[in-house]
Amino acid sequence: MISKFLAAMAVAAVLHITPTVVLVQRPDAVKALLPGAEAFFAREVHLSNTDAHRLHEAVDWSPEDGVLTFYTGKTADRVAGALVFVRVDTPHGPVEVAVGFTPAGAIGGVVVTKATVETKPWVLEALRAGLVDGYKGLKPGSTPAGAAALKDRIGALPAYMAGQLDKGVARALLAYGTFYRGAKT
Amino acid sequence: MVYDLRHADTRLRWLVTCLLGTFGVAYLFGAWMVGLYAGFTPRSVAATYRGPKMPMHMPPETTVVVEHAVTLGELAEPAHTVDRDLLVQDTHVHIPMYGVIAAALSAVVLGLALPSWAGFGLITLLFAAPWLDFAGMWLTKLVAPGFALVTLAGGWAMGLGYGIVTALAMWQMWTPKKGVAG
Repeated sequence: MISKFLAAMAVAAVLHITPTVVLVQRPDAVKALLPGAEAFFAREVHLSNTDAHRLHEAVDWSPEDGVLTFYTGKTADRVAGALVFVRVDTPHGPVEVAVGFTPAGAIGGVVVTKATVETKPWVLEALRAGLVDGYKGLKPGSTPAGAAALKDRIGALPAYMAGQLDKGVARALLAYGTFYRGAKT
Repeated sequence: MVYDLRHADTRLRWLVTCLLGTFGVAYLFGAWMVGLYAGFTPRSVAATYRGPKMPMHMPPETTVVVEHAVTLGELAEPAHTVDRDLLVQDTHVHIPMYGVIAAALSAVVLGLALPSWAGFGLITLLFAAPWLDFAGMWLTKLVAPGFALVTLAGGWAMGLGYGIVTALAMWQMWTPKKGVAG
């Protein structure tokens, strides 16, 4: 009886997702990913049912309220780049990545903005091993493979989180390719 | 009843003391966390659980793009709110734990020298407090912001229940009794 009770307590503890930790403030991520930008614009893409379904089928992602928000940075009249924040829900809690795109349409940088108390050390280990460097230059249509590239250099849980971050970058690539570059305002 | 903390073995009284001390630390940090994420006023609790008033999302017939200028300040994190999904998770995780805590404190109540009605009352208070707490959160979210008062009442009732049990237990367990050797 007591062992069953303890087991139930342990399960409850395991299921308790630890609080979210902000690794980088969103404005700081924007400044890092859109260097030199002086003005910022939010491009809100309100997805139709068909497009929302297509996005979900492709990358297992449904943005909050069906709205994809891209942020564009401009310097005078020149576009400095665009970025999108993507949340990935893992069994250990959510992580959020900011994926920045150059005017040429390739990934210019990736910043992990949020993790949880539990996943933060795993995320940091993956970042220290150079996870985000592998994303630079990827264009829509390519597949991020940061976890595979690092798997022999980092522990199992950091590699797992790298896989989750790959998922976030894949979502950003598809969303950007389909709904930013492919859309008309 | 044989179970009487006033005359219990010192080890049992020490166990109860440690248990209450541990709960006390947990409650202090709980209050700190409430202060960080929800606040102690009806307005702040309502804002946390009610969330911003959003129109029901209706997807457009075709995908629509809207662009507007933003400042970096607008990109900063919004105030912490608890959406329905998070409240489901919080309720799922916390209600069992609150039940276990109320049961542990009730077990202490059973060992106190109290009139039967006082024992019933305290046990009811210990279990009612978390129910009020979470009922208030759900009612605030689903019915009206004014139910934040129910959540606040639940939170204070939890502290009150713990305070009464701890004070009575410490008094009855550790104050010298007439005619009893220490």
